[in-house]
Amino acid sequence: MAVNTRILKAEFEYFTPDNFHKALQLLDQYSPDVKVIAGGTDLLIQMKKEVISPRYLINIMKISDMSFIKVKNGWLRIGAATKWREVVEFCAKDRKYAALYEASSSVGKVQVRNMGTIGGNLCTASPAADSAPALLVFNGRVKLANMQRERILNLKDFFKGVNVTAMTSNEIMTEIQIPSIQNGMGSAFMKTTRVGADISKINCAVAVERQGDLCTSCRIGIGAVAPVPMRIQEAERIVAGKRVDTSLVEEMGQKAIEEIKPITDIRSTTEYRRQVASILLKDVFWKAWQRAGGKE
Amino acid sequence: MKKKTVHFTVNGEPHEVLVESNALLINVLRDELGLTGTKYSCGTGECGSCTVLVDGEPVLSCLTLAVAVDRTDIVTIEGLAEPDGTLDRVQEAFLDHGAIQCGFCTPAMVMMGRDLLNKNPNPSESEIREHIKGTLCRCTGYTSIVRAIRSCSK
Repeated sequence: MAVNTRILKAEFEYFTPDNFHKALQLLDQYSPDVKVIAGGTDLLIQMKKEVISPRYLINIMKISDMSFIKVKNGWLRIGAATKWREVVEFCAKDRKYAALYEASSSVGKVQVRNMGTIGGNLCTASPAADSAPALLVFNGRVKLANMQRERILNLKDFFKGVNVTAMTSNEIMTEIQIPSIQNGMGSAFMKTTRVGADISKINCAVAVERQGDLCTSCRIGIGAVAPVPMRIQEAERIVAGKRVDTSLVEEMGQKAIEEIKPITDIRSTTEYRRQVASILLKDVFWKAWQRAGGKE
Repeated sequence: MKKKTVHFTVNGEPHEVLVESNALLINVLRDELGLTGTKYSCGTGECGSCTVLVDGEPVLSCLTLAVAVDRTDIVTIEGLAEPDGTLDRVQEAFLDHGAIQCGFCTPAMVMMGRDLLNKNPNPSESEIREHIKGTLCRCTGYTSIVRAIRSCSK
C-alpha cells in the first residue's frame, strides 16, 4: 500500500528533557511503548511507513552532555547524540581515526550529517550502518544506561539482528568509546552504493599493524553482508602474523566470501555481494596497509 | 495529542505557532506560514528538495518535527533575496547559467549552493558536487547547476 510520506500520520506524546536523568525517568515510565529520537533520519521514516508506531517519543537533542567528542586517557569518547558533522570534523584532524573519518564523511549527505547522530546510527542497527565496520575494527564499545544501572558492551555484542540490538526498551545509549589506537596502526573504510548518497550495498573497514612486510595484527569489519555488521575473524587470521603479499591477500578475500552471509534485496544480489565484498575488502586492506607503512 | 507552542524565527521574522507533535517542519512552513518555496518530493530523505537552513545548517524539513526546532533560526529560499527583492548571488547565477529546467529542485540547490559558499567561498568542482550529492535533479541538469555555483566563487 502506498504511504503518504508528506505527513506523519502517527500520533504520539513528545518530550524534550533538558537533562539526562529526566530522559531516563521518562523512558522508565513509558517503556516499552517509547522510542528515543535523535536526528530522526531513520526513525521518522519508519514511523511514516508505519513500520513502528511508538506512543511516546523522547527527544535527546537538547541534553547538552550527550553531545561531545573528546580524547581522555587515550580513549576516544563520543556522546551518542553527537551529530555526524561533528564526528567528521573531529576525525579529520587525526589520521589515527582514518577509517572512522572515511565512514562518517560517507554517511548520507550533508543534510543527513547535520541531523543524524552516531548513536542513532548504531541504535537503528541497520546491517548497512556505516559507522559499525569502522567502530568494530577499533574495538569500539558502547555505554548503555537505564534508571537502575549503567553497562558497557563491546560493539560486536551489541547487534543482535536486523534492527535489533541488545538494548532493552528502557535503556539509552550514552556514549561510544574507542580504546587508544597504537601509533602506526593503519586503517581505512570504503563502501559501494548504487548512487552517490545511498545506503551501502557493502561497506568494509580494515585496521592493520605491520613491521615491514609482516602483518602483526589485522581486524576486518564488514556490513550489509549479514543480518548484523560483523568482524570476519577467519579472514583476519589468514593475514595476521604472516608476511603479506598479493596471493595472501587474495586468499583472505576468498575466505571472506565463505564467512559472509549476504542476501538478495533491492540493492544487490547475494552473488554480487559475495564477489564484490571480496574485491572491496582487498582494496580496503591495501589502503590500510599502505597507511600502516606511513604512506597515504 | 497535546498541541505545543513553538517559537522560531523564519527569514529573520519571529513566529509563534501552535503545532501537533507530529507536525513536520515542511508543512508548517508551507501550510501555516505560506512559504511554498520549500518543496516536498520524496518525504524519506532521498531527494533533498525540502532543504532549509536551521541555525545555519542545511537539514531536511520533511524529516524534522516542528516541535524539534523550537528556539531556532530558520532560513528558507524566500529568505535569501534582500527585502527589496535583490536576488542572492547564487540565485542570479542560476538565472545567468540557465541552471533551471523544471525548477522543482532549484530552491534546494540554491540553498545548498549558498550553504557551501558561506563555508567555503572558493569551492572546487568536486567540492560542489560532493555538497549537492544528496540533492537530486530529475532533469539531470547538474552541469549547469555546478557551473552556476562555481561562478559565485571568489
